Amino acid sequence: MKLEGSHELDAPRERVYQCLVNPEVLQRCIPGCERLEQTAENTFSATIKTGVGSIKGVFNGTARLEDLREPEHLRLVVDGKGAPGFLKGSGDLDLASTEGGTKVTYTADVQVGGTIASVGQRMIQGTAKMMAAQFFTSLAAEAKTAVGEPPPQHGFFRTALRWFSGWVRRLFRS
Amino acid sequence: MIPAQFDYKAPATLDEAVALLNSDLDGAKILAGGHSLIPAMKLRLAQPQLLVDIARIKSLAYIREEGDQILIGATTTHYQLESSDLLKQICPLLPECAKSIGDVQVRNKGTIGGSIAHSDPAGDWPAAVLALDADLVLVGPNGERTVKVENFFVDLLTTDLQPGEILREVRIKKPSGKFGQAYQKVPHPASGFAVVGVAVHLTLNDDGSCKSAGIGVTGVAVKAYRARAVEVALAGTNLDDNAASAAVAHVCDGIDPNSDLYASSDYRCHLAQVHTRRAIQAAKARVQ
Repeated sequence: MKLEGSHELDAPRERVYQCLVNPEVLQRCIPGCERLEQTAENTFSATIKTGVGSIKGVFNGTARLEDLREPEHLRLVVDGKGAPGFLKGSGDLDLASTEGGTKVTYTADVQVGGTIASVGQRMIQGTAKMMAAQFFTSLAAEAKTAVGEPPPQHGFFRTALRWFSGWVRRLFRS
Repeated sequence: MIPAQFDYKAPATLDEAVALLNSDLDGAKILAGGHSLIPAMKLRLAQPQLLVDIARIKSLAYIREEGDQILIGATTTHYQLESSDLLKQICPLLPECAKSIGDVQVRNKGTIGGSIAHSDPAGDWPAAVLALDADLVLVGPNGERTVKVENFFVDLLTTDLQPGEILREVRIKKPSGKFGQAYQKVPHPASGFAVVGVAVHLTLNDDGSCKSAGIGVTGVAVKAYRARAVEVALAGTNLDDNAASAAVAHVCDGIDPNSDLYASSDYRCHLAQVHTRRAIQAAKARVQ
């Protein structure tokens, strides 16, 4: 399966690139990433617990960064498997400076197999798009903080919004 | 094909169901017809700790006329909607849509609330309730709230339903004046799910021109959506073939159509245009 897309981030290209190759930042940005450890230069091992709706699964795998050309290009090679199926593939990320930010364009070729591919085939592409959007939204928040500052709390806005809407609702009901 | 272990509770009232659901927000899951959840559990793609079965709450399955609204309880089955004489008279789109879902077994067990809350990208009900501009009543630990169905579908299998909330009722404004409705679907040959499904609700002025159109599209994107651009393009026209053809060209505007082994995104978008046009023509022909 081919995946393509682009996301505009409100941060300078050098900063975005640094975030993309920083395992701590990646762990916070990858939806459901519970563990990300460096095992060799540019090679990582990860555990990701993720899903959409009621469909959830745990995946274990490795990720390798290749073809690093700071600050414009990198290539990510992944190989993972879990109870719902397996995933294997690679993607190229290109970073371009835009007015006031960075445009990240990605093209990936991914093979998905196992249960998830045989019964969830029609939803795989949608799931991938949704996760890419979540990843880049978190990455944009990370890239906006200066180096050395505490990282942003990704769940914060959603929690605040939920609290606020609940409060408004109570206000109008009483 | 054997699910992981789980607990099962069948509360007698909706309040009990809400309390049970909120007792374990991560592990509890509402079970209605179970025609999406149970297969996912058998494949171990979903492993809830606790199932709260609301299909046994009798007071949640009903079809009623109240004032200028049609009220439908969340656990009303597809078959009950398909066979409702009331709906055949006042809102035939709903029985027509129900009839196109799955097979007899699915329609006997599956519920309208379950289909909407699950938000399958190829589910049939989302298209129909979008075309009818329905309201959804959600109940949670802090009471009830009502959302427009257009704001309810957020993303793939993701809705505005918060953890701890249950969809209780679907409210539809009773169609009045001159109106016509139709549901057109290209079912996937194996699963019966909509490769493309289009629900159309037209209201006409006295001179036969289009007063307003509601168009819900399923199967095409990651979630069902209202084809606003088509609705706008139809309004004020006489709904002839030229007007319909010009309007349906906009059905994929702003949409990134799904692509899978069965249908590429271009083919899906083409199907959506053809079937939106057919649905408009069928709805127009049924205007009384």
